[in-house]
Amino acid sequence: MGTISSAFSIMSQALQADQAALNVVANNVANASTPGYTEETPNWQENQPIVINGVSYGTGATESGATSIRDHVLLERLNQQQQLASASGSRLAALNTVQALFTPDSGSTSSQAGDIGSGITSFFSSFSSIEANPTNSSLRQQVLSSATTLAGDLSNAAASLNSQRSALDQDAAGVTSQVNALTSSIAALNQQIQSTSPGADAGTLEDQRQQDLSQLSKLIGINQISTENNGLSITTTSGQLLVSEGSNFQLATGMVGGVSHFFVGTLDVTSQLASGGGQLGGYLTARDEDIPSVLNSLDQLAYSISTQVNTLNNAGTDMAGDNGNAGNIFSAPAQVAGAALSISVVMTDPNHIAAAGLGQGTGDNSNATAMASLAKQLIVNGQSPSNYYSKFVTTLGSTVSGVETENTAQTASVTQLQTQNDSLSAVNLNNEASSLTTLERTYQAASQVFAMLNTIMASVLNMGEQTTVS
Amino acid sequence: MQGLGVRQEHPKLKELVLEASRALARLDADRLEELALSCQALNRDLAESNPERQRALAQEAREADGDMAVFARVLEVTRANLNVMNRLRELRAGRLEYDERQARGWTESRHGDN
Repeated sequence: MGTISSAFSIMSQALQADQAALNVVANNVANASTPGYTEETPNWQENQPIVINGVSYGTGATESGATSIRDHVLLERLNQQQQLASASGSRLAALNTVQALFTPDSGSTSSQAGDIGSGITSFFSSFSSIEANPTNSSLRQQVLSSATTLAGDLSNAAASLNSQRSALDQDAAGVTSQVNALTSSIAALNQQIQSTSPGADAGTLEDQRQQDLSQLSKLIGINQISTENNGLSITTTSGQLLVSEGSNFQLATGMVGGVSHFFVGTLDVTSQLASGGGQLGGYLTARDEDIPSVLNSLDQLAYSISTQVNTLNNAGTDMAGDNGNAGNIFSAPAQVAGAALSISVVMTDPNHIAAAGLGQGTGDNSNATAMASLAKQLIVNGQSPSNYYSKFVTTLGSTVSGVETENTAQTASVTQLQTQNDSLSAVNLNNEASSLTTLERTYQAASQVFAMLNTIMASVLNMGEQTTVS
Repeated sequence: MQGLGVRQEHPKLKELVLEASRALARLDADRLEELALSCQALNRDLAESNPERQRALAQEAREADGDMAVFARVLEVTRANLNVMNRLRELRAGRLEYDERQARGWTESRHGDN
C-alpha cells in the first residue's frame, strides 16, 4: 500500500468511525425517553498497523460496536433496596388494614373490633350494676346484652383477620405466575446475551434483562451471580436457584395447613421467600407473622375472659337457687387457639347469672362483686383485660409505625439510587462526578440539619420541663 | 420549594423534620442548606423565647419525635448509598488507571512510527 493511499485509507476509516460514533450518539438521543434504555458509548478498535520498509504505520481506528454504560454494583444495590421497599410497602398496606380494624368506631351500632376496649369496660361494669340490685331482671339482661356485644366484637375481629389473611394468601399466590414469567424471560435473554458476548455488546438485550430484574426485585428477594460471557444466575436470598444462565426453575404453589406454600421442585421455600423481601416477602410476613400474632392476642383475651367468667358463674348461686351449677355465660373454649372466633354467649336466661355467693340467698351480691372485680384482676397473661387490650393496640400501632419508618427510608433510598443510576446510565447530560458531589453535599447538609434539630429538640424539651416545674 | 412554600414566621418543628426527610430523599441539597439556615435561626431564637413559646416548642418537639426517627433512618440509608457510590468511584478510578497504563504500554511496544 502506497503512503498516500494509506493516508487516505486511514482518514477514510476515521471518518467512517466518526460516523458510526455519531450514530451511537443519535441512538442515545432517540432513546432518551425509552424506559430502561442505557446510554451506549462507541467502542474504538485500533486497526492493525501497516509495515512499509520496516516502519509501521497506524491505520487509524474502526468503530466496533457500542457498549452500554451500566454499573452492576449500583444496579444490584438498587434492586436490593427495591426488594426491601416493596416488602415493607406490601407489609405496611396489610398492617394498615389490620390497624384500621381496631380503630374505635363510636358511631356504629354493629359489633366491631374497634369497640373491644369499650366492650370490655361495659361488660364488667354491668356486673357492678347488679351488685346494687342483684335480683333486678333488666340489669341481669344488661349483663347478657353486654356479654353478647363483647363476644360479637371479638369474634367479628377474628373473622375479619381471617378474611384479611385469606386475601393476602391469594395476593401471595398471584405473585407466582409473574415471578415465573420473569425468570423465564431472564433465562431466554441470558441465552441471547451469552451467544452475543463477548464478541459484541448486547446492549438492548441487557437493558431488557435489567428491566426484568428490576421487576423481579419488586416481587421477591433475589441474589444475582454473574457467570461467563455476561450470563447471570439468580437465586432466592437464601440461595435457592431460580435461574441458571439459560434455564429457569418454576415456582409452584400448594396448600399446606390451609395456606399457600411455595415450592421449587419439591423443596418448600415459603419461609425463604417470607424473609427474602419483595412484595411476596411482605405478603407472607403479614400473613404468617403479623396477623397470626394479632389473632393470638385476641384468642388469649377471649379465652381468659370467657374461662374466668364461666368459672366464677359456676361458683355462685343463681336466681333459681342453683349452687355451683348455674352454667356458662360464654361458650367454653377448648383451647386458646380459635377462642376469639368461636366466642359466643350461650346463656339465654338472665336468671342463671350467679350474682349470689355459693350457698347464699338469691339477694346476695358477693359473686357479682367478684365478677365485676375481674376487670381489675390480672387474668390475661398477667394483666387486667383492659390493660392487656390497651397494650395490644399500642404494640400494633408501634409495629405499624416501625414498618412505616422502614418503608419511608427504603423508598427514599430507592429514589436516591435511581437518581444516581439515571445520571450514570441513562441518557443524561449530568456526569457521574457531579451526581456524586450532589449526593455528598446533600448528605452533609442533611447531617447538619439533623444535628441541629436534635440539639433544638433536646433544648426545648429541657426548657419546657423546667418551665413546667417552675 | 415544597411543604414550607407558604412563609410562616414559626414553622412547626414537625414540618421542618418532614421537609428535611423529603429533601434528603430527593437529594435536594439546596433545600437542605436552606433548612440548615432555618435551624440556625431557630436555635438562636430559642434563648430569647418566652416561657409560653418554650412550652409550645416542647410540645412541638414531642410531636416531631416520630418524624425524627424517620429522618434518622433516611439519613442512615443515604450514608449507606454514599458508601456504595464512593466505592464505585474508587473502583472506576482504579480501572481507568489500569487502562491508561495498559494503553501506554501497548502503544510503546507496538507503535514505533507515531
